[in-house]
Amino acid sequence: MKLTPELLKKLVRASQKTLSEEIGCDDCFDQLHEFAELELSGKTPEKAMPLVQDHLNKCGECRQEYQALLDALRELNS
Amino acid sequence: MIVAMLNWFKRRKQTKKSYLSNEEWLELLASPADEKAVGELRKILVRGLKPALYKYVDRELDQFVEDTVQDSLVKILDKLDSFRGESRFTTWAMKVAVREGLSELRRKKWQDVSIDDLASAGIEDDDDSHPVQFAADNPGPDRTTHESMVLEKVMEIIENDLSDKQKMALNALMVEGISSTVVADQMGMKRNALYKLVHDARVKLKTKLASEGIDPDKLLEQLS
Repeated sequence: MKLTPELLKKLVRASQKTLSEEIGCDDCFDQLHEFAELELSGKTPEKAMPLVQDHLNKCGECRQEYQALLDALRELNS
Repeated sequence: MIVAMLNWFKRRKQTKKSYLSNEEWLELLASPADEKAVGELRKILVRGLKPALYKYVDRELDQFVEDTVQDSLVKILDKLDSFRGESRFTTWAMKVAVREGLSELRRKKWQDVSIDDLASAGIEDDDDSHPVQFAADNPGPDRTTHESMVLEKVMEIIENDLSDKQKMALNALMVEGISSTVVADQMGMKRNALYKLVHDARVKLKTKLASEGIDPDKLLEQLS
């Protein structure tokens, strides 16, 4: 594993943002449908479900799935 | 089940939209699942998945979506019990289908990459036997002795305090940029466990930086 300054910055930044209490991908997925409906109804899911928001900020794949879910639901609601 | 179907057709006639309540979906899809309800759900999933996945699929979007929906329906019917009614049933089902489709695409994209090979290649390229080392000229000649010592310390923390699995995961995810779905598959774990592994590494790094008196903000400045 070669450390470049860029990678080291990423690691340090990631460690700075680390919370002792974080949820994993499973817990995020379990709540994602509820989170999505709150967002689409104009509410503030990030306040109601901050741990899900935190996970989405940190996990690129869950974030990608969430964005795709929103795209799908917007189509169904159109 | 008959009442649920009648209600559905009545509403469909009135609104030209197929809409079942959550209870009706669950009733109709419970084993043995009603074929019309499965067909209706299939249509809904196909309609939603196309705009959700088109930007990730190079060709044959329709076929990919059909295949994804087929696989998703099996999963959805299998885990109906886990739907607790916090949203519309179709939102929950769409969530399952979206993950199914994106996971498949990630696996296809990275199918020729082995993180074991990447790890071995890295070791062969290195003259130094230490698995963690600073690339090229860094820390650079312009750094003060103190700055270089801090960077050395951080490298030591990463080398000595993180497990081999954590380093392998960080390398695959952060250096190689490989999908975490794929990294998890190849490390024989679920994505959730991989996230936990990396979370523990982040906690370890944060704790050790603090206990060594290293200010992360100053460290970031030095690295800029």
